[in-house]
Amino acid sequence: MSFAPPAARATPDVLAVPPLGVVRSSVKMDTAMDPSARLQRAKERLYVLCQAGGWVFFLVLQIVFIALFRDKDTAGKATQADIVLSLVRVVAEGILITHYVRIYLTRWGWKDLGWRPLIPRIIGMALAMSAIWTAAGFALDFGLLRIDSPTKYPLWLLMTSSLVNGAIMMTGWLCLYFFYHLFERLNRLQVGQLQLAATVKEAELRALKSQVNPHFLFNSLNSLRALIDEDAPRAREAVTRLANMLRYSLQSGQQETVPLEEEIRIVEDYLALEQIRHENRLRVRWEIAENVRSGALAVPPMLLQTLVENAVKYGISTRRDGGELVISTCLEGAALNIRVTNPGDLSAPASPAAARAGSSTGVGLRNASERLKLLFGERAALTLLAEPPGCVTADVLIPLNPPAR
Amino acid sequence: MKVLLVDDERLARNELRRLLAAHADLEIVGEAVDVEDALAKIPVLKPALIFLDVQMPGADGFSLLERLEPPLPQVIFTTAYDEFAVKAFEFSALDYLLKPVDPNRLVAALEKLRPRGSAETFEPGSGTHRLTLEDKVFVREGERCWFVPVKNLRLLESEGNYTRLYFDDQKPQLFRSLTAMEERLDPKGFFRANRKQVINLAWVDGIEPWFSGGLLVKLKGGMKVELSRRQAQDFRERMSL
Repeated sequence: MSFAPPAARATPDVLAVPPLGVVRSSVKMDTAMDPSARLQRAKERLYVLCQAGGWVFFLVLQIVFIALFRDKDTAGKATQADIVLSLVRVVAEGILITHYVRIYLTRWGWKDLGWRPLIPRIIGMALAMSAIWTAAGFALDFGLLRIDSPTKYPLWLLMTSSLVNGAIMMTGWLCLYFFYHLFERLNRLQVGQLQLAATVKEAELRALKSQVNPHFLFNSLNSLRALIDEDAPRAREAVTRLANMLRYSLQSGQQETVPLEEEIRIVEDYLALEQIRHENRLRVRWEIAENVRSGALAVPPMLLQTLVENAVKYGISTRRDGGELVISTCLEGAALNIRVTNPGDLSAPASPAAARAGSSTGVGLRNASERLKLLFGERAALTLLAEPPGCVTADVLIPLNPPAR
Repeated sequence: MKVLLVDDERLARNELRRLLAAHADLEIVGEAVDVEDALAKIPVLKPALIFLDVQMPGADGFSLLERLEPPLPQVIFTTAYDEFAVKAFEFSALDYLLKPVDPNRLVAALEKLRPRGSAETFEPGSGTHRLTLEDKVFVREGERCWFVPVKNLRLLESEGNYTRLYFDDQKPQLFRSLTAMEERLDPKGFFRANRKQVINLAWVDGIEPWFSGGLLVKLKGGMKVELSRRQAQDFRERMSL
């Protein structure tokens, strides 16, 4: 009662079938590999181990079965050794077939399929593999080696039983193979989700930390000190504005959204303080649509502030003659559109000083973008555009009816 | 002592002016709004001390020192908040003040640099006379920077349009050609050993005969420099003098 084509004489060197292709070439690589290559290598090793272990187990099981329940009638012509050799050859054919099929499974992307499309494919593939297995076995035994059938059963019956047995075997092999990959995919997904959660937490922390830009704060204090003698009323006004800003940045960190109106007031305070520092180098144009002013719209706290701060840093501070900022907001369909434009070149490599100064705002923009998506879903967007010519525009789109989170 | 203020913000310069008014021995000879402006004004105004803002439009304060012809005036950096710059200052033991400036810290910084001054006769950035052994060269590499006294330079090595300076256990690159540097060095103290290298004679430790009439000069600290036959002849004459 063996599962496969009948026995014959053959050389048993087939168990030494080398783990082909991929493994052999990766062996050449050194220990100095990146983690993904090392993982790939570990997977290959696992595959070779499973493949060899599984088939050896199958072979031993077959031999034990035959030794225990050997059919006296079929044993007529074949010796025990013949049967074992034949089994070894059958196993070797199985290894070869599964090994090459695996290459195609990867190439056709079956590893990424769900169960539903996979089931018919597994069955079809198992039948095809079994057919090749059977054909190869019978062709080798009766065609090439010209061995007489050792049993009393007719050939067609043997072939059919071999086909069915082989299909069951191969289905088992494929199921195991895809089980492993499904499990691994699940694992990867979980790791990805954990990483995402960690990124979000980190972004929240960074957002809290980066709310008051210390460079701005101390420069403002320095200008204020000079302004006290030069223009006392203006200095008093500046102290109030600075207090507003500090209070807002301390409080708004705890809120998810703030009214746009409130955010605009803070940006006005901020720009007034920057104008004390930069004087006529900083010019500002506001374009707030009327329906936005009255619309009681919610935005993430410090969003507009971050964009404007970024615009001052890149568009004004780095330019000897400064420039003009344009801040415009309008309702565009079912979304709020905020645009902050500053003179500049998006593609120009930042000077070392600007790069150092800007490293914190790069984080700021990324932060703002992450926060937007968390709060308003995937339809919310923050993009940097190289327009109009000679300028950089930060463009924010906030859907008015965000999907429920 | 003549002082130049370099800062892009008018109010910041005014604030510094007011603080310096308390120091009668300082004469503010001018103000510059950025690196280009300062580069133009320093050879004319000849300040002995500059207050230098780190963050300015265009190029930062450090690059002014890199581009200025030595000898350099004394420098006190000013910055509102810049972790990188402060790290560089502390590493290099440069004088710096944080804005808004604490008047007591200003006094301390001025006290620290006064004894150094050959202040009145100082002519910075003129690029004409030779550097003395006490003059300093400013060099920056990555986040580190140095004011290196000329006498500490063991070896200067040409790297295209730049020169690698060897001193202490450092070897940063200077944004100046070896030929330009050689013209400024005292020929009594420095010697052009070959096409690529200039050595400080005070650092010569030993001399060995080398191939085809050349010489191998060993410098203190272990570096070796090859001299061609022609250079070796010059070298022998110089050393025998």
